[in-house]
Amino acid sequence: MNRRRLLTVLGQGTALLPLWGLLGRAAAAPAPTTLKFSELYGRVTVRGAEFSDKLRALQGQQVRMSGFMAPPLKPKLDFFVLTREPMSTCPFCTTAADWPADIVLVIMPPGRELDPTVRGLSVTGRLDSGVRRDAETGFVSLVRLYAEQVSTQA
Amino acid sequence: MRQILLTAALLCTGAASAATLKVYPYDGTKVLAGQRFDLRIEAEGVSALKDATVTLDGKAVEGLVRTTTKETSVEWTLRGMSVPTGYHELKVSLQDAAGAAAQTVRWYATPPVTGRAKKVILFIGDGLGWNTVNAAQLIAHPYNPANGMPTGKLAMMSDLSSMASVTTSSFDSALADSANTASSIATGQKILVNALNVYPDNTPDTLDNPRIEPITEILRRTTGAGVGIVSDAFGTDATPAAFAAHTRRRGDYESIANQYFQGAVKPDVLLIGGSRDFIPSTSPGSRRKDATDWIAESQKLGYTFVSTRTELNAASAGKLFGLFNIDNIPSYLDRAQYQRPEMLGDFKDMPFLWDSTKKAVETLEKNPDGFFLMVESGMVDKYEHPLDWQRAVWNVLELDKAVEWAKDYAKKNPDTLVLVTADHAHSISVYGGYDTSKGPGVRSAVGVYEQAGFPTYGDKRDANGLPLPETARTYAVGFAAVPDYCETYLGRPVFLDPTVSNGKTGAEAAFLPNPKICEEGAVQRTGNLPPTANQGVHTADPLPLFAFGAGAENFFGPMDQTDLFFSIARAMGVDATKNR
Repeated sequence: MNRRRLLTVLGQGTALLPLWGLLGRAAAAPAPTTLKFSELYGRVTVRGAEFSDKLRALQGQQVRMSGFMAPPLKPKLDFFVLTREPMSTCPFCTTAADWPADIVLVIMPPGRELDPTVRGLSVTGRLDSGVRRDAETGFVSLVRLYAEQVSTQA
Repeated sequence: MRQILLTAALLCTGAASAATLKVYPYDGTKVLAGQRFDLRIEAEGVSALKDATVTLDGKAVEGLVRTTTKETSVEWTLRGMSVPTGYHELKVSLQDAAGAAAQTVRWYATPPVTGRAKKVILFIGDGLGWNTVNAAQLIAHPYNPANGMPTGKLAMMSDLSSMASVTTSSFDSALADSANTASSIATGQKILVNALNVYPDNTPDTLDNPRIEPITEILRRTTGAGVGIVSDAFGTDATPAAFAAHTRRRGDYESIANQYFQGAVKPDVLLIGGSRDFIPSTSPGSRRKDATDWIAESQKLGYTFVSTRTELNAASAGKLFGLFNIDNIPSYLDRAQYQRPEMLGDFKDMPFLWDSTKKAVETLEKNPDGFFLMVESGMVDKYEHPLDWQRAVWNVLELDKAVEWAKDYAKKNPDTLVLVTADHAHSISVYGGYDTSKGPGVRSAVGVYEQAGFPTYGDKRDANGLPLPETARTYAVGFAAVPDYCETYLGRPVFLDPTVSNGKTGAEAAFLPNPKICEEGAVQRTGNLPPTANQGVHTADPLPLFAFGAGAENFFGPMDQTDLFFSIARAMGVDATKNR
C-alpha cells in the first residue's frame, strides 16, 4: 500500500501530506501521555472489567496509543478498532466477531476517513471511557479515542 | 370479450399455480413419537389465494395460524405438534388465481422402548475427529522405543462397551458447523448451518423459526430428569446452546443467555465461560444490550453462583450456575502449564473440565429421576481453527481425564451411560517427527517414516500428570485445509493468530501470514482455502463415538449424527408421548 495514500492527516486538509509534516506539526503541541493496552483495565472479573486508575485519570485528555487496525468493515473508515496485536477473527466462532476485551474504538473527526492498513499505527486523540453504544452501528465500546492524528508507527 | 375471459378462467382451473410450497418438518423427517415440533408451511409466489387444505394422514389439521409476510406469500404455523408411532403423510394443496399447487411430506415416528440408562453423561469434544483423538493418544501414551508398542491408551479409548463412527452434515451443506451438529445430536434432525434446534422459515426474525424439541426438553417434560450443561467455551456458544435454546442464528447470544433461564430446559447445572452475555450492559465487557444481570437473577431463581474452581469444588447446592471467565476459559496449556498473564489475565482459579464434570454429576445425581449431562470440551475446536494443534490436543487430554472420572462413576452406578463423541472434525494430521534442537520452522528437522523415530513426550510431566509440549523430539502435525500461514512446527506460550487481515475490504479482502510468527523462523505454507479464509475450517471427516455402560449397545457401526439422538432416547427409554 502506498504510504502517502494510507494516512489522512487530520487538521491539515489533505490526505496526501507527507508524514514528516504531520509529525512536525504534532511536535508543536505538548506531548500527549502514552497509554498502553495493558494499562486500560485494573481488573477483569466475571462481573465485568474495571477501568484502571490511569485510564480514569486521563479521561478527556490527549493520549497516544500504538496498536493495529482490526480487520476493517468497509473500504473507507470513519471509525476503526485498534487492537494490541494484529488479529483476524473466526468466521464460525460467532456472527458478531469475538473481540478481545482490550480494544479501543478510534473515531475519526466528521468528514475524515482513513484507508485500511495492516501496519502498526500510532493514534493520538482525546480519550473517552465508559460503556457507549453507537446508535448507527450498534457497536458497544468501552474505550474510545477521538482521533486527531493517525500515523504509522516509527 | 366476456366469453374469452371465461374461457381463460376455465383453462386456469387445471393449470399449475406458480406457488412454491415448503413444509417443515421436512420430507423424510424421523422423530420420536410424541416429540414436539412446530409445523410450518410456506407458500411463496402466490397470486390471490382461493383455498388451501392441509391434511395429516387424511384428516384436516386443526389450529393452523395463517400469516402473510409479503404480498405474494402465505404461511401456516402450528406450534407444539406431535405425532404417534408410525409413518405419517402430510398433504398441502393450494389454489390461487394461477391454478393449483400441492406438496406431500412423509414423517416417521419411532416407538418408545424400555431403556436401561437413567443417567447420561455426553461428552462432546468440539472438533474431535478421529485424527484429533489419535494425535492426543500419541502424545499422552508415547511408544516404547524398545519395541514400538504403545505405552497405554486414552481413557476414552479403553474398556469400551461399544464404539461407532459418526458422519456429519447439515440441512443445507455437506460441511457442518457446531450449531447444526450439536442440534442434530440434541434433536435427531438435520439443521441449517448456524441454526439451533429450528427449521428454516421465510421471516427475518431469527427467534420465531419453527422449533423441534431437543432431548433435554423432552426429559424435562416427560420425567423431570435433571439437566446439566458444562462447557469451557463461552456459555452461549453453539454446542452448549444446542441443549437449551432455539434460534436461527447462533450469534443471538443475549437471547441464548435468557433462554437458559427462561426456556423449557432451565438446566439445574450450568458451568460455563463467557460471563459477558450474563452481565448487564452497564458492566464494562458486557455483550448484552439490556440491564439484565443473570448473576443476580439466577440466585433469585435458587441457583448457587460460583465463579472460581475453589467455589465450585466447595459448592453443595441443588442448582448450580458457574461462570469462570468473561470469555472462553483459556486452554489447558495456558491454565496448567504456561500460566502467562497475557493469556490468563485476572482469572487465576478456573476449574478443569474434570472438576466441572464431577461437581455437575454430584449435583444432578440428587434427582431420583436421573439426569442428562452434556460436557463440551469447546477449546479443542477454538484452537484447531487457528492451527494451534498443541493447545487443541492438550485440551483433549484434559477432556480425557474428565472421561476417566465419568467412566469410574459409571462403574459404580450401572444405570449410567457415558458417551464421548464430537460435533465435527478438523483436518489435523500427524505426519512426522520433529527434531526441536534444530529450532523452529526448519523443514529438514521433520523426520518421516523411520526418521520420525519415537517422540519423547512425557519425559517431563505437569502437576496433573500430563506431558509437556516442550521436549527434544516432537511430532510434526499439520492441517490439510489452511490459509497462507507460517509453520514453525512448535507451539508458543502466548497464542498468535496464524493470519492477519490484508486491510482490504469487499472483493479484495484477504489474509496474510502473521508476520510475527514468520519472524520466529518458519516455513511459509501456501494456503488451499479461499483467500478470504483466515484460519482452518471444519471438515466432513468422520468422528469417533466411544460408549460405556448402560445402553451402550445402541451405538455401533457407522452412524449418522442424527442417529445419536434416537440411540440416546432408546438407551434412556424416553417416552416422549408422556407428560409428567
